[in-house]
Amino acid sequence: MTDPIASPPAFFEDHFRLSAKDLLGILETALSSGGEFAETYLEYRTYSYILMEEDIIRETAESVSLGLGIRVISGEKTGFGYTNDLSPDKVRRAALSAAAIASKDEPAARPSALAPRGLGPSYYRVNEASHSAPLDKKISLVKAAYLACQGAGPEVKKVKASLQDQIQHLTIANSEGLLVSDSRPLVKLACVAISEKAGLRESGYAGGGGRVGLEFFSAQLTPEEIGREAAREAAILLEARDAPAGEMPVVLSPGHAGVLIHEAVGHLLEADFNRKKTSVFADKFGKKVGVPQITIYDDPTIPAFRGSYNVDDEGTAPRKTLLIDKGVIVGLLQDRLSAGLMKMPLTGHGRRQDFSDIPIPRMANTYIDKGEYDREEIIRSVKKGFYADRFQGGQVEDSGKFTFSVSSGFLIEDGKLTTPVKQATLIGSNLDILNKVERVGGDLTFGPQTGTCGKEGQEVPVTDGCPTIKISKMTVGGKG
Amino acid sequence: MRPGGPEDDLVWLAERLVKFGKSCGADEIEVGIGDGYEFSVNVRLGEIEDLVEAGSRAMGVRVIKDKKTAFATSSDLAQETLERLIRNAVRRSELASRDEFAGLPSLSPVRVDPEGLRLFDPEIPELDSKTNIGLALETERIALADKRITNSFGASFLAHDGTSVLASSNGFVGRYRKTQCSLSVGLQAGDGDDLVEDFWFSTETHFKDLEPPEAVARKAVARTVRQLRPRKIKTQRVPVIFEPLMTSGLVGFLFACVSGVAVYQKSSFLAGRLGDKIAGENITVIDDGLMPEKLGTSPFDSEGVPSQRTTVIEKGILKKYLCNTYAARKLNLSTTGNADGNAVSPNNFYLARGADSPSEIIRSCEKGLLLIRTLGHGLNPVTGDISRGAFGLWIEKGEIVYPVSEITVSGNLGEILGNIEMVGSDLEFRGSICGPTIKVREMMIAGEGST
Repeated sequence: MTDPIASPPAFFEDHFRLSAKDLLGILETALSSGGEFAETYLEYRTYSYILMEEDIIRETAESVSLGLGIRVISGEKTGFGYTNDLSPDKVRRAALSAAAIASKDEPAARPSALAPRGLGPSYYRVNEASHSAPLDKKISLVKAAYLACQGAGPEVKKVKASLQDQIQHLTIANSEGLLVSDSRPLVKLACVAISEKAGLRESGYAGGGGRVGLEFFSAQLTPEEIGREAAREAAILLEARDAPAGEMPVVLSPGHAGVLIHEAVGHLLEADFNRKKTSVFADKFGKKVGVPQITIYDDPTIPAFRGSYNVDDEGTAPRKTLLIDKGVIVGLLQDRLSAGLMKMPLTGHGRRQDFSDIPIPRMANTYIDKGEYDREEIIRSVKKGFYADRFQGGQVEDSGKFTFSVSSGFLIEDGKLTTPVKQATLIGSNLDILNKVERVGGDLTFGPQTGTCGKEGQEVPVTDGCPTIKISKMTVGGKG
Repeated sequence: MRPGGPEDDLVWLAERLVKFGKSCGADEIEVGIGDGYEFSVNVRLGEIEDLVEAGSRAMGVRVIKDKKTAFATSSDLAQETLERLIRNAVRRSELASRDEFAGLPSLSPVRVDPEGLRLFDPEIPELDSKTNIGLALETERIALADKRITNSFGASFLAHDGTSVLASSNGFVGRYRKTQCSLSVGLQAGDGDDLVEDFWFSTETHFKDLEPPEAVARKAVARTVRQLRPRKIKTQRVPVIFEPLMTSGLVGFLFACVSGVAVYQKSSFLAGRLGDKIAGENITVIDDGLMPEKLGTSPFDSEGVPSQRTTVIEKGILKKYLCNTYAARKLNLSTTGNADGNAVSPNNFYLARGADSPSEIIRSCEKGLLLIRTLGHGLNPVTGDISRGAFGLWIEKGEIVYPVSEITVSGNLGEILGNIEMVGSDLEFRGSICGPTIKVREMMIAGEGST
């Protein structure tokens, strides 16, 4: 068996006897009803999972996902078919399902000859690939996280530790002659702690990984650190009081609070919402929407990050994309369909969950760039407020109203972090919040490599980041 | 739509894989195979946006050897791949720990006849694309005819036809075919930067029961425009009335807290509370997998345990946790037919209806919030804490007076269950988790100013 990472283009030919010539034939069938553009997306993904709970390695799992998605574009319309049976008649059927979006009797275009395209430098950082590492080695990492968490304090009552890894081989061929392949590794080690004291019960979560090999867990972030961090959060929450309710100054912790940028800004700069003019940003391209301290990028090329990729799911080379420059919207996250219709350049943000999904514009690694303030000085500037420390995720709607959920935080009193507080959802309107950012710290940090973003039912791995940020006023939804 | 369902082949394949697993040394093995066909169309502003038509299969297997468990799944159904995965799983099980609670359920003498549940509508596979596309186009057209609607997120029609097969070394072999279709539309209204949005949908196992385009469109329009020109309100504690979809969200959170898996993992605030009074007398919650034609119905769960009707909360008393075989053994309880692989999932899980009409409930409220939408997550089963972004209609003297937005509602499920003053009569099975309108005595609303 050839090493798929060493020579990805050969992968589907070796494993499924689908040659470049076959792919060209599929594209021809897909264009048979007059579509302008056709694309095939071949995917073979293996996934493994190890779970430790109740002091035992409770289970291991292995998954194989195989399939082919075929897309045809005709004007603004997309036809799509997929199959996980790669026999010629099933593939042909999927191609005809996709072709049906165009309703002419004969082809309007013919696919160009496929020219294999190599990739630039890889953004994956793998020495010891997790998907091919011995299971007992992976089990020892899970055990190390579990035991460190359990041993972190007497209040830790239950622990769950898990390791997930996958390798996703993909080949994309389209009617413009593109033929490109990639093999994307992804690994995540995570730990959940449940703490109990005096009838109270709380939980803590920590994890890490990315497009890395197992050496990450000795060089960058150890299983013990993950286990202890989950225990720390679970323990501190036992001492926490209910979060306050109402409007107040909010300081966002560096790294973890990147979820705010993801929700408040990132989603509404995805091109599809702007092309359809449902995004509140749709009429504001080139206009100022926030204070000059705010500069936001999405960069799918940051080495080793979860959200990174060597090629997007439409075969476009990804680019670091400036979205907001000193408060002014200057860029959108594009896929082929929107970029074509909007006559804007591709940015390499067309992503899909798997072969059975149509690609749409998505974030990769989104962050707010560093500012000039010192973190301590930012906290000192708040007389009475809320420090949002750890997060569970958020949501946004096209009007710009967004929420994000804080799992733990602190009260700020007279410029100092004081009482720990628990769960609260913060709500705001993005145009309002972008103008209420008062100070941006110099300490740009990225959040943990555990994030997943959902849109239209499709989940993709992402990362986000930010420095310490002060928002002059925001609504905190605690129990008061 | 489907080119003839070779269900017998799937049963044969599942049984053969069970035998293969035994021959590889598995003490127990369970093989599930799903075969699905999907059609979906999204239309927007009168044109098709995308059209998907596809069939796919997947296999899942659990093997147990020496009380050690391993799982595998595959969407590649090539014999060579499936046999390799099963051999690997048997080998891999040795690296797991011995677990006295591991194992398949024993074969139940009860069999539920899939025919009697009427889950398969023969009309759905026969629907042609033109009809389906027409329904979506018509729904959006009616909605956009209302001048207050300024943009559309699109309308969709989806149809699904799936066969589930399960074979197990305990002797169980079962299969059923289930259809589902849905029609939905999402709308935007407002001007400048003051935009509001909402949607409506109908989803059924039988095509004849689907709400017509007119009904879906009108409801989506009404739900969207009622939010126009929202006001902000002060931070305060007030009664909160949940519309049925909002109650469903709350009931879904309750499900996460009565899951036997969450209970043995102590990740539920309801762990250790069996037999306690956890809610008012007016609260009865049921999980019922046997209701004919309903979305959450099936003859058996992922372990082949027959579906049943389980009273989870009876007049405020916590009676049962919903368990798969593993959770049941850990907790020394019985399985309730809710297994979904390693997890548990609801069948038809609902808050039983009360006596009050929704309009009576609103009239009973001197000052409060009618909760119509939430945004974000903010649910913690470990503590029962809830904190979510919210949109609502403000109520004064029993009348809806204006919409409100950019607020949060917070509370704790444990406290809310004891504080539900009224339960509506308007229970509808619009999904597998549902509930009627309810009125909660008091919750914290965060808005302008602070407490």
